[in-house]
Amino acid sequence: MTRNNEHSASETVRTNNAPANMGTKASSKFTVVLRSIWRRGEGKFALIVLALWLAVSLLSLVWTPKSLWATDGYHVWAKPSAAHWLGTDGTGADVFSWLMAGARTNLFIAVLAVVFAGALGILLMSAMVSRSSALSNVSVVAVDALISIPTVLIALILAVPMGASVVVIIIACGIGYGLNLARIARPQALLAANSDYVASALSYGASGFSVIWHHILPNAMPTIMVQLSLSAGTAVLAESGLTYLGVGVPSGVPSWGHSLATSVKFINVYPLTVLWPGLIVTIVVVALNVFGDVLRDVIDPVTNPELREV
Amino acid sequence: MMGVDVNKLGISIGGKSIVRDVNVHIGDGERVGLIGSSGSGKSMISKAMLGLLPINAQTEGSVILGDTQVVGADETVLAGLRGRYVGAVFQNPASSLNPVLTVGKQIELPLKLHYDLDKADRQARVSAMLEKVGLDATVAKKYPSELSGGQQQRVGIATALITSPRLIIADEPTTALDSITQRQIVDLLVSLVDKAGASMLFITHDFSVLARATTRCYVLDGGRIVESGNTADLLEHPQGEQTKKLVAAARELTLQRKQNRDD
Repeated sequence: MTRNNEHSASETVRTNNAPANMGTKASSKFTVVLRSIWRRGEGKFALIVLALWLAVSLLSLVWTPKSLWATDGYHVWAKPSAAHWLGTDGTGADVFSWLMAGARTNLFIAVLAVVFAGALGILLMSAMVSRSSALSNVSVVAVDALISIPTVLIALILAVPMGASVVVIIIACGIGYGLNLARIARPQALLAANSDYVASALSYGASGFSVIWHHILPNAMPTIMVQLSLSAGTAVLAESGLTYLGVGVPSGVPSWGHSLATSVKFINVYPLTVLWPGLIVTIVVVALNVFGDVLRDVIDPVTNPELREV
Repeated sequence: MMGVDVNKLGISIGGKSIVRDVNVHIGDGERVGLIGSSGSGKSMISKAMLGLLPINAQTEGSVILGDTQVVGADETVLAGLRGRYVGAVFQNPASSLNPVLTVGKQIELPLKLHYDLDKADRQARVSAMLEKVGLDATVAKKYPSELSGGQQQRVGIATALITSPRLIIADEPTTALDSITQRQIVDLLVSLVDKAGASMLFITHDFSVLARATTRCYVLDGGRIVESGNTADLLEHPQGEQTKKLVAAARELTLQRKQNRDD
């Protein structure tokens, strides 16, 4: 009966005899991660900024202080006032309203670029750590070759047939960040692919897909999540850059890049109109970077004991 | 049922021969040992049985599980065989469990792959299996890093046995454990394997463990079988050079253990 001795001696006995309940796991895990992020000062900052971004985006669909198309011809380049909280631009349109409406375009771009990048990156990462040496070798070389093409160049090429459009930004960012993601997540995935637990999974008959889904992906997830939240920040920056170059958001569609691009020529005369969108982009990008950083610490059950209690 | 016949198995990697001319027979319900020092090719033989040799490995001869030839078999044939008919327990329990999956989830995965059960059924089986390996059902919610080495290896055994395979390949399952836990794990494996009526191939470099786990054994040296027979007999009257060395090492360790206990 020695094994029972070991069992009772080294086990931290918990007395509830409820069978392992994994039913509500996904939702409660999400809450625990959010709570863990909230508990840190910088995490709180990131969550507040991101929540505001989402709230303003939704609000702008139904309400902005002034209509986007209402121009006040008598007050162009106006300073902030009660009538125009952040002043007006060269056409006399309300800067605050345009920035509010821009939030939703940028959110849309960031979310879709991240989804696209995530899907592409995970697919390529899986190919790169495949047990088939032909597939892994080809995908490693392909990713290394393609990664040398700058995102801006991809956008410029895409803009030739498609013109300036939101889709150009999303595809260009998706490809660029997806390739980056695959390369950054590969070492982690490779470590998992060569691990004993994958050998063990193969020994009980797990398929390639099952190994990737149950073993490689969860272990690479912290890296992937961090990289994706950094990518969301970069997508916001890229939108500004590409719109400035004329291949991003078309004129007439509100976005932070659009607000920057239309006012940056007059920075010497009316610096304030450049300051506002610049400030927002900076704050949002910092928040996303911080978010990624904090997320890395809290998403791993090995480093975050709170997740183990779920 | 599930006998194993390894005939003239040869494995080489990159032109370097690792295993040569190995013949092993495991009868139905038999517990057989494979003993040899590090680098003697023990693990390669177990990998060959699972069809999990490195891609660049070249094999000759045959490994027949039941009535299926494993060497050169199609991946789908192998996937059907693994888990259902063969299960494996690995050397290092800490690294053979996925650090980010809960224990319950890991034991559940083979069930999910091989049986068409609903979630409640699977979880009931996981709880029952945990109990069988001497763990509390609440362990299912824990992550591997929260368990001791012995507990982790019990989880490893549970994962290998949950699908009731006919053959258990235990590849040095006790090497990473302390001597007391070693004995508990061996006794647990033996009792579970016997109860299930399964066969076992027990791989180790430690004769003292082997005597507890098996009735018959093969001694491997430099990729060749140099001696075989009843485990107790070999331990009493080792013939070959390598067998003598391994027996002497086991004696020394056992003696030291006894001395330590006396101190």
